[in-house]
Amino acid sequence: MRIFFDPEVLAAAWPGIRSGIGVTLGLALTSIAAGVALGLLLATVRALIRGAPLRPVGGLIAAYADVFRAMPPLVLLVVLYFAAPFAGIELSGFMAAFVALGLVLGASAEEIFWAGITSVNRGQWEAALSTGLSRGEAFRRVVLPQAVRLTIPPLTNRAIATGKNTALASVVAVPEVLNQAASIQAQTASPAPLLLAAGVYVALFLPLVRIGRWLETRFHIR
Amino acid sequence: MSEFFQTFLNPGVMAESSGLLLRGLWVTLQACLIVVPGGLFFGAGLALAQTLAPAWGARSLSWGVDLIRAFPPLVLLVLIVHGLPFLGIEPPPLLGVGIALTINTSTYYGEILRAGILSIEPTQWEAARSTGLGTMATLRHVILPQGVRNVLPDLAGNTLEAVKLTSLASVVALPDLLRMARVAQGVHFNPSPLILAALLYLALLWPLVRLIRRLGGRAVLPA
Amino acid sequence: MSDVLELRGVGKTFAGIPALRDIHLAVGASELVALIGPSGSGKSTLLRCCNRLTEPDAGDVVFEGEPVPAGGAELASVRRRMGMVFQAFNLYPHLNALENAALAPRRAAGLSQGEAETAAREALERVGLGDRTSAMPDELSGGQQQRVAIARALALRPRILLLDEPTSALDPELVGSVLRVIRSLKEDGVAMLIATHEIAFAREAADRIAFLADGEILECGPPAEVLDRPRTERLQSFLSRL
Repeated sequence: MRIFFDPEVLAAAWPGIRSGIGVTLGLALTSIAAGVALGLLLATVRALIRGAPLRPVGGLIAAYADVFRAMPPLVLLVVLYFAAPFAGIELSGFMAAFVALGLVLGASAEEIFWAGITSVNRGQWEAALSTGLSRGEAFRRVVLPQAVRLTIPPLTNRAIATGKNTALASVVAVPEVLNQAASIQAQTASPAPLLLAAGVYVALFLPLVRIGRWLETRFHIR
Repeated sequence: MSEFFQTFLNPGVMAESSGLLLRGLWVTLQACLIVVPGGLFFGAGLALAQTLAPAWGARSLSWGVDLIRAFPPLVLLVLIVHGLPFLGIEPPPLLGVGIALTINTSTYYGEILRAGILSIEPTQWEAARSTGLGTMATLRHVILPQGVRNVLPDLAGNTLEAVKLTSLASVVALPDLLRMARVAQGVHFNPSPLILAALLYLALLWPLVRLIRRLGGRAVLPA
Repeated sequence: MSDVLELRGVGKTFAGIPALRDIHLAVGASELVALIGPSGSGKSTLLRCCNRLTEPDAGDVVFEGEPVPAGGAELASVRRRMGMVFQAFNLYPHLNALENAALAPRRAAGLSQGEAETAAREALERVGLGDRTSAMPDELSGGQQQRVAIARALALRPRILLLDEPTSALDPELVGSVLRVIRSLKEDGVAMLIATHEIAFAREAADRIAFLADGEILECGPPAEVLDRPRTERLQSFLSRL
């Protein structure tokens, strides 16, 4: 049992893993911000052009959401990191992970915002337009605030999933928590660094998972 | 444009690596055949346990579920595949991957099935009890048939996630579709196998995404 | 005449508020007892205490001479012989009429599938729905659904039926069909305890009427006595408001 919690190995592993925490958090926060912004932008575009001559654009956005829902994030990451250089696009591991996670979350977020928007009663649009608000104003002042309420629990959950998916970046040599633990493990031939990393993930994500669960019951989306 | 094709969709390279990719695809399918039924089975067990347990039992189960969910699936996978050997347990790679991903995905199947059970009005339980049906018979014949139907889109959605998850197996050296594509890329020094693998994943999963849409599914599965 | 069901001093409190107080009531074989009283007077709670869907916290419920067991297979066995009909029908929406009625005979009473379906078919014929056995609940009118619910209880050949406002959720024109079924069951000698707002029906069909107010039985006796010569002010004002 001692081998799993060897204090010397743990002490030696800690500085690397601590620096990994910074990278994990940095990657998580930037990808989540970019993904949510992308999703909100696309859903807004799709809502505003509904019924307009630009309709095919809405179809394109829906197709984007479908493709990135069907694509395993790791496959996307590997393609971006190992195939894109052949097209002259050299991404660092961090950039590749940021783009992959942002695109995947963007697709989910678009879908979540879109579901929220379409769930707002048509009568709300009509009431707002009948009072002389422009389409944009009606969307911003009337529809979006109601839609956001519905989107908070699922969006929180997708954001947490994105945070956890930062562990995938270890595959493309980003020195985040898992990557640090794996390389220290390789040097020390001890499972202790991995367990330390596991503990770090639990400390980071268990509170978030609990919050996600609480939000689901609180907003009662079923 | 033709240069683009020669680089990313090179017919010669794709033909030569197709054998490798098909072997990888078969391993991916095997992993799915372990993870999806396994996840459903243990998820159903979890949902029943949470339904039947007294309040404190259900609460501790929900903490246990959340503890598992706090691990990124890749961390759980690496921990099990690289950690078990230190305990003297060395399962075959496919089984190790199967265990890790089943643990992960069964917590989601479990929560979905539990939500299905909870979606049924208490009056259905009362009607069944008033005719002398026991708890298990009520679950099996009255509650589950209705509850499962209510959460069918979510079950399909989680199955999609479980299949996507199997791509992680490549990280622990299981020769699955993604891994074989990387190998082929190395052999030919050309990314076409990787692109082909990505297209294969799409071909496999796009119909499932469309099906989920048809069922009225949400993208909002829990994390 | 031996009593099928007897309540001895039954009481129930919800969150400190008494819902039933010291209820004494007996239903004899072939007897129809009607419970009347304002909404919230405890009629439902009284019925639900009989088969312990609601757990009484005082007194005893005695069924065929034995106290109703607290749980387990013994309670399930008593519940099979004490049919219950709910105000909102509570049919199983995923099962057709025959399957609704056959489920408990098969899975609770342990009959073979064939025997269970025979029992269910007979019960459906008895409520006049022998021709709708394969209909799903949402294809049936409210009155028909409630008759399926009655058949579901009858298929277990119960000694007594507990009916909780069986016509209150029905459109007025559908009430008659359900009451007709209840009357015919009475002619066949089925013991019944029925909570109802249909005073005219109670007067004509009940052997005895119990008036419940604030969780207490204030009056109990033959219809003519209770309805025509009310002794308490509560019952007088209840009847005058109808």
